[in-house]
Amino acid sequence: MRQTVLKLLAPTTGTASLVAHLAAALLVCALLLFALHRLLGPRGRRWLIAAVTFAGGLFYGLEYFLPAHGKPEKNFLTPWIEPVSVALTVVFAFTVGLGIYSLCQVHGRNVGRRRPGWHNSLAFFAAMVAMFVSGLWEHHLRLPEPLPAVVPWPKGVYEVLFNGLYGPLQAATFSLLAFYIASAAYRAFRIRSAEAGLMMAAAFIVMLGQVPFGRWLTSWLPAAGPLGSLRLEVLGDYVLTWLNTPAQRAIAFGVAVGALAMSLRLWLSLERGTFFSEQS
Amino acid sequence: MGSLEHANWFMTALFCTMSGIIVGSVLLAQRGREMFIRRIPGLSAIEEAVGRATEMGKPIFFSTGLWGIDVVTLQALAILSYIVKLAARHATRIIVGTADSTLYPVAQESVREAYEAAGAPEAFRAEDVRFVSGDQFPYALGAVGIMARERTATNFLFGAFFAEALILTENGRALGALQVAGCPDPVQIPFFIATCDYVVIGDEYYAASAYLTREPTVTGSIVGQDIAKALLMAIVLAGIGLATYFGGQHMDHSWLFRHLGTGR
Amino acid sequence: MAQAPATGSWDYLQRMPRYVIYLLLAGVVLWQLLAPIRFPIVPSSTTRDVYKAIRAAPENKLIIISVDWDASTQAETGPQTAAVIRACFESGKRFALMNWTAPMGAKLANDIARPIAEQYHAEYGRDWCNWGFKSGGANVLMAMVKNIPETMGNDVRGKRVTSLPMMKGVRDIKDIGLVVEVTGLAGVTETWIGLVQGPYQTPLTAAYTAVMAPGYYAYTDSGQLKGMLVGVKGAAEMEVLERKPGLGSAIMSAQSWGHILILALIILGNTGYLLARGRARRERA
Repeated sequence: MRQTVLKLLAPTTGTASLVAHLAAALLVCALLLFALHRLLGPRGRRWLIAAVTFAGGLFYGLEYFLPAHGKPEKNFLTPWIEPVSVALTVVFAFTVGLGIYSLCQVHGRNVGRRRPGWHNSLAFFAAMVAMFVSGLWEHHLRLPEPLPAVVPWPKGVYEVLFNGLYGPLQAATFSLLAFYIASAAYRAFRIRSAEAGLMMAAAFIVMLGQVPFGRWLTSWLPAAGPLGSLRLEVLGDYVLTWLNTPAQRAIAFGVAVGALAMSLRLWLSLERGTFFSEQS
Repeated sequence: MGSLEHANWFMTALFCTMSGIIVGSVLLAQRGREMFIRRIPGLSAIEEAVGRATEMGKPIFFSTGLWGIDVVTLQALAILSYIVKLAARHATRIIVGTADSTLYPVAQESVREAYEAAGAPEAFRAEDVRFVSGDQFPYALGAVGIMARERTATNFLFGAFFAEALILTENGRALGALQVAGCPDPVQIPFFIATCDYVVIGDEYYAASAYLTREPTVTGSIVGQDIAKALLMAIVLAGIGLATYFGGQHMDHSWLFRHLGTGR
Repeated sequence: MAQAPATGSWDYLQRMPRYVIYLLLAGVVLWQLLAPIRFPIVPSSTTRDVYKAIRAAPENKLIIISVDWDASTQAETGPQTAAVIRACFESGKRFALMNWTAPMGAKLANDIARPIAEQYHAEYGRDWCNWGFKSGGANVLMAMVKNIPETMGNDVRGKRVTSLPMMKGVRDIKDIGLVVEVTGLAGVTETWIGLVQGPYQTPLTAAYTAVMAPGYYAYTDSGQLKGMLVGVKGAAEMEVLERKPGLGSAIMSAQSWGHILILALIILGNTGYLLARGRARRERA
């Protein structure tokens, strides 16, 4: 059976074969959805969702927990991991269209009704179309590496938009954080209580200990002996490794157990409200 | 150390024990056992935050973070549902910004159902649940744009946040919004604390739906989590005792370390 | 909520307008980039561990430098990548760049590697190569540990990786002597540890942005990470160990003075706060 399924999932070659596969898949999905919608009532749909959720979680859970043998280690479910992951990736890819639809809907309405700031929405469409067209065209060119001295203009446009504009804009946006940290630290770090004072002292020690200036500030203290422990870089290291690390580990333990509990509730469909039935 | 590929016997036993504790606790709660959850200030402030937006006549902005359909984001949707029901009762508009196209339809459905549950299905506006961008910084800038153009009175940030968190919260603060944030990842917590009015930290994030709804299932789950954590603490203490008694130099060759490590 | 405007000089100290803070910070950073006042950089133990791990990597095995970063963190991860590449060339170790998360990383790291390779007269395909970005997330690592050539397919120049001289005899994870993970993304290291370092005991080191590094000291403590570069400081410390000052060292003076400014602003803010509080108490009394 595995061979049959893998044969069906194998990459296809040729346009006719691809179109046939797509058409068959669409037809099967449409029929299945129609049948499910007609035959199952709301209660039946809920049971189906719970069953599919349980089966999905059970697959990954069993693959992990069932004893594995050999080198590399595997059990009877391990060969299915990759095809299932690929199938999920394909399903997720379809939702990209939904995201684009949402963006076009919101910005299209802004432009259509000439709402205040509609020119920003127009810029969105211009940027989206430019990137889409140049990206697809550039990919289609299949230029060799290293690039020739003179490149076709779609490649040039793509380079300007992606590496010349998008990349530096990302870096520029990230660099805003430095300014925001400065203003946030200035505003928030006030010694209103003893705990705030302790936090301030730790912040000073770590901030100075992490830069050469801090090391230089206490470089006159002898490295060996008890006074050496008062050097800023040593104190900073102590705060990061002996105080911060256990706290991070403790938070990680708690978050992991919380995630386990939430996962169990979702897997066993114990979660109520929101996207599940309101009834408990 | 252990592998992520397959579990050893210790991992399997630990997982079964902890799962049994959590599920058992849930079943006990569903049978009517009363369970206590302490006050969580960040979550108690949600009503105040929604009330502020209602009084000012301005909308609320809710950010679900960067991730898609994941445990962290599904918890954020549970909190969103609660906030939407509160907002719907006071006819306060709520705008949701998502950063994942797979999450977008789920979030939209979640908000629609919440409005229906609150008895105000006509208040739901599909365009108020938006996919902003799939990338980190474009999402942050898009979300800040929404806050600035819509002049939001309150911002809620629940989900998985990373470097863009400070861009969101610092701009939100500059725009005068009251901000409530929650994120299980400890790295961003300091930035939230410096810029937000209320912050929900670590475990409290996963306790949020129990705290807000007091539903037996989730309340039982939280109590079960606490018992599981106590078990982990006991194992850590036992490990500390054994390592101290037997000495570190024997660790690599000890039966215990070999079986708890690689399990081979 | 929004900051109320300052009233009075003590109040001004604790309610300085944002634009003043931003101008001061921009001015300090610009000043230090143009006319740096440098302080000696002494490598920390975690940086030394990374340096030692690269030098100790077996000669007959490859080093993988996983460049999982993009333009946003380039200011930190760029100098770190350059420092690691230089350390590999210095110690005569062959390395392969790869990327399985942020697609931009492979190209940006390529732009960093090429001029350094020219300095060391290193040849692409013989001393270093770039496997490029491989999509599939953790599946890439899961497949790579079993069969590297099949998983990597073509390199960033479109050639089959098996056609590169340095890839002769490289089959699976046992032919990898060290993995250096350079990243600004959370969750990447945990995947390397779970799928590569843990089951196959492949040595792993990392280079992180400064903000995420505190969360990974636990891994150096447990021995899962053999050292760690922390932000630009880590890159500067590697440059000191290699005796080749570069971008990391140049940026450090700006970072030092930036920290000094932030601390000075915090002191000013608290001075204003305490004086204003004292004045309020006196007026009440």
